[in-house]
Amino acid sequence: MVRWLARRLVLSLITLWLLASIVFIIANVLPNDVGRTILGPFAPQESVDALNERLGTNDPLPEQYIRAMRNLVTFDFGNSFQNRTPVLPTILAAIGRSGILALYALLLTIPVAIIAGLYAGRHRDRPSDRGIVLAGVTMSSIPEFVVGTVLVVVVGVQLGLLPVLATPPPKAGPLEVLRYLTMPALAMAIVYFGYIARMTRAGTIEVLESDYIRTATMKGLTTQQTMRRHVLRNALVPTVAVIGVQIGYLFGGIIGVEKIFNYNGMGQLMLLAAQRKDIPMLTAGVIVIGIVYMLATLIADLIIAWMNPRARLDTAS
Amino acid sequence: MDAAATVTPGPAAGAPSGAVRSERSQARRETLTVLFRKPGFLVGLIILGVWAFCAIGGTNITPYDPFNDFARRHLPPSPEHLFGTDRLGRDVLSRVMVGARDVLLVAPIAALLGVVAGTLVGLTMGYYRGIVDDAISRVVEAFLSLPVILVALLTLVVLGSSTQVVILVVGILFTPIVARTVRSAVIAERQLDYVTAAKLRGESGSYIITREIFPNVLGPIVVELTVRFGYAIFTIATLSFLGVGIQPPSADWGLTVSDEYTNMISGKWWPTFFPAMAIATCVIAVNLIADALSSVTDE
Amino acid sequence: MDYSRLDLVRRKATPVELDLVESFAQGRVTRRQFIQRAAVIGLSASAVSMVIAACSSGTPSATAPAASESAGASESAGASASASAVTGGSIKVAIQRPVQIDPINMQDLGGYGTVAQCFEFLCTLDKNGSDIAPGLAESWQPNADGSVWTFKLRQNVKWQDGKPFSADDVVATMGRLVAAGNSGLKGVIDDKSAVATDANTVTFNLLSPNGNFPYLVSVFNAQTVITPKDYATGTTLDAMPNGTGAWKLQTYDHATGATYARNDDWWGGKTPLDTLEFVYFDETGPMVTAYQGGQVDCIVQFDVLSGEALLTDANTNVIATRAALHRQIWMRCDKGQFAKKEVRQALAYTFDREAMIQQLFSGKADLGNDHVIAPIYPYFDDSVPQRTRDVEKAKSLLGGATINATLHAGQLLEIPDLAVLIKSNAADAGFNLDVAVESLDTFYGAQWCPAEPKDPPCSGAAELGIVDYGHRATPDVYLNAALKTKGVWNSSQYNSQEFDDAFTEFQKSIGVEAQKAACKKIETILNEDVPIGLPYFYNYLAGSSKKYQGIYSSALGQMFFSSASQVA
Repeated sequence: MVRWLARRLVLSLITLWLLASIVFIIANVLPNDVGRTILGPFAPQESVDALNERLGTNDPLPEQYIRAMRNLVTFDFGNSFQNRTPVLPTILAAIGRSGILALYALLLTIPVAIIAGLYAGRHRDRPSDRGIVLAGVTMSSIPEFVVGTVLVVVVGVQLGLLPVLATPPPKAGPLEVLRYLTMPALAMAIVYFGYIARMTRAGTIEVLESDYIRTATMKGLTTQQTMRRHVLRNALVPTVAVIGVQIGYLFGGIIGVEKIFNYNGMGQLMLLAAQRKDIPMLTAGVIVIGIVYMLATLIADLIIAWMNPRARLDTAS
Repeated sequence: MDAAATVTPGPAAGAPSGAVRSERSQARRETLTVLFRKPGFLVGLIILGVWAFCAIGGTNITPYDPFNDFARRHLPPSPEHLFGTDRLGRDVLSRVMVGARDVLLVAPIAALLGVVAGTLVGLTMGYYRGIVDDAISRVVEAFLSLPVILVALLTLVVLGSSTQVVILVVGILFTPIVARTVRSAVIAERQLDYVTAAKLRGESGSYIITREIFPNVLGPIVVELTVRFGYAIFTIATLSFLGVGIQPPSADWGLTVSDEYTNMISGKWWPTFFPAMAIATCVIAVNLIADALSSVTDE
Repeated sequence: MDYSRLDLVRRKATPVELDLVESFAQGRVTRRQFIQRAAVIGLSASAVSMVIAACSSGTPSATAPAASESAGASESAGASASASAVTGGSIKVAIQRPVQIDPINMQDLGGYGTVAQCFEFLCTLDKNGSDIAPGLAESWQPNADGSVWTFKLRQNVKWQDGKPFSADDVVATMGRLVAAGNSGLKGVIDDKSAVATDANTVTFNLLSPNGNFPYLVSVFNAQTVITPKDYATGTTLDAMPNGTGAWKLQTYDHATGATYARNDDWWGGKTPLDTLEFVYFDETGPMVTAYQGGQVDCIVQFDVLSGEALLTDANTNVIATRAALHRQIWMRCDKGQFAKKEVRQALAYTFDREAMIQQLFSGKADLGNDHVIAPIYPYFDDSVPQRTRDVEKAKSLLGGATINATLHAGQLLEIPDLAVLIKSNAADAGFNLDVAVESLDTFYGAQWCPAEPKDPPCSGAAELGIVDYGHRATPDVYLNAALKTKGVWNSSQYNSQEFDDAFTEFQKSIGVEAQKAACKKIETILNEDVPIGLPYFYNYLAGSSKKYQGIYSSALGQMFFSSASQVA
């Protein structure tokens, strides 16, 4: 167990290093003038040159790369090129915001999706199953920015039920915060329902057809007992796997929703950093998302191992 | 949106020989019949067919010129303009029809690129294992830990977005996902007897991969291709919405939604609604087809 | 005409003032223009009223040209703090996320608006939103030829940390601006020009006469906010929020927004509102959504594309300020297909300008005549015939040839739509244009003004493209940077001695008449040579809920809330 964990850790570190390097390459692949990008096209050339000197962007690339890598190892994420303030607090704040939204969305969708998936799996090929699958496919086919827009118009503006901006006022209590986050979370939840429900359904079907379930039924266990003792644990394996993998997406990929609701999550932050060629911010942000993904998949694998001892062997890769 | 599709490999076949080959084509014909009986598959095919027709027909079949015909702005749907007009006075129905061209041209190529590259990588990884597998796995892991949208966004912002670059970026970003799926399938296959038999016969690695293993993982690959196609439509629409995908003055659906969605609030819902529905129906259609294909290759 | 009163003023007037008084007396400028110009050149209020009184007895003055109607008659209902003003309360304002809040180096509207709450100008914004009024300077006077300007500073002004404001602060600020290469002041003053003649007076010895100098140290040259003398260049607002303005910065978070509280020691008195809350946005769409959802009360700037609904909203005060905001369609004059003047003229003749204004701005724009002298400038000369769409003429100018070219555009507001309209308009005359839109991050550096080759500037520019220009209170920057030979932003590589001479003449002109004459030359030359196509000058749009009054704004994103209050 310890060896398995240690191996995972080492592999994760290598992956993180690769991530940082990829970002560095992408950001520097074309010659660009960072100072000019920050100050804009109408700024005087002297200001641009001064800024470039200060940021060290005129140094040769290998030197900049080594500097960036060395800083990472010492956890010195540096200052943003943009506003010369430390990068880490901004990123942590953004990750926090993204995290709250992601958690809320998952809370909304997971219970409903799992119940629907289990039900569909048990009543395979019957109209209810077909209905759930169809609903799932439909909802996950609509891009979340489309769902978000419709929600804003119908629920936010026409009905006036929920606020259209996702950022609550600074002193809002937890319930207030939830109110503000409901619409964007709902947009994400609707899209995610499909995946989770279908994964649960697939897992349920596979388990229900397996030998040991037949044995359990023959032993005389009622359906309820069967479900509770055996099916649930094993059917949820693919579900947990999918959620683990998707966490990274939930943190950095919901930028369409962030745009519509003006929510300052990781997505917006990364987009701005890319536009401003703010390399320290980009590198740090990507590393943080990477770490979140590593942790999420690690926890997911641990949960799967606990739920299904046989699966432990399969997670070795 | 890159959930790894868990796929089981197709029916194992023995070494190709005359009798087996005709057996295979028989099996294929049966598969196709089953496929066409599935309502999901048929519905998906019909919807895609409609859009393909629009894409091929282009401006020849649109009621108005989608680029140069400026009538009155923001007219609601009416008999003259079934989907209304947009902010510059262009007919929305015509633009939606022409927009199919961008989607159905760009998305399949990106998906194909990703699947071809991913298959090559996955075959290599799965068969040879060892250091090659480990090293490439690390790179694959790195790519997979970041959401596709984000990496695509960053790259396009840096490189500037043109249609070709979008195709390239999306294709490259799909490669790791496909590679992983193909790799799992290959790993399952290579433990089977016919592979051992081929090795004992002294066949080279590349022969085994191309002639023995590849035909047997074709099923999952085809499913993966369809699934990727759906994701490609989705991803490119989102990128266009964010402003880094297909550039104006294209009638691309994601771009149109981005241009017009603020007008929804003042009640002008039609320039946003219809392109959004177009995206949705396209992706649904592709997903229905993919679902049908995957259930067929499972049996 | 009461000549006795008029002569009283005439005898004491400097040549600059005399010129304006004569223009008014002879009816060549309207009364409003006279009052505005008088404020700029420093004519005392008593002289102004005397002149007006003198001239209004008897014959009405001949009507001045209608085109030069006073710029930016803002339609906001809250111009006078009348109708039941309530003290107290707060307002939520939606504004573009500032890129930089460094007063000396900031370049974006978000920064200007954020900083203008705490720091102030020598010449601030007039309440009608379009001209200047006394700010930290109470009055200013030029010498006879406009080469030396003397500014009398307001007394008893304190910095927010309690220290007194004095001429040394102004001199130090000017020194910093010169060192930073401020584009409005470049070539006008150097680091020795500003002198503190006493604690409350600053004298500017300009490098050459300039009749518009007060504008260059006003709200319209956004970086010229006065900062304390111990202020270090590069300090951002949140690091040292010590200004003289009506609002004190309380909190600043680049990600979410800023809050301000009333400055109790402000020289202008007690502001009706207690606090301001600025919310930062990256795009106008969400701003409009938030406004309509009631989560913000005011939008600093919106465009017709996303905010059209606000224009007809019954609960919104729309501040539509006529401005010099425009787009330039540059065409390479030195080489390529547009090197011949006839081709450029042909393209300009295909523009359907009225339709563009209607479709892109719902009518909220002035017609442009392919030159940069906007109708809002008092020295705009309207005698140059307005070019209109004439496809036949365009075809004949092209001589029946077809031109295939790529029209480059940046992804900004309505510019992609403008490109579509131009492509469609121009197709009728034989232009086959391929629209290529790219994001602003790459557009400026790749198409508009590539860094290489460095000399002449922008000589690597594309053959044909559209670029955006922000509002300026005088056209000097447009003329100098975009059109003068070897100008720093001259993508068309326009190279005309005749134009350069006319520009120099304009800079030297003192007085409305001389400036108008020089402008007429400039307009005629540009309209004939067409190095740039210029179809419109669009309005600056801002909006606020009718629950508030007394808000006014410049066309540069500086919104003023010092007289704002809630309506009872």
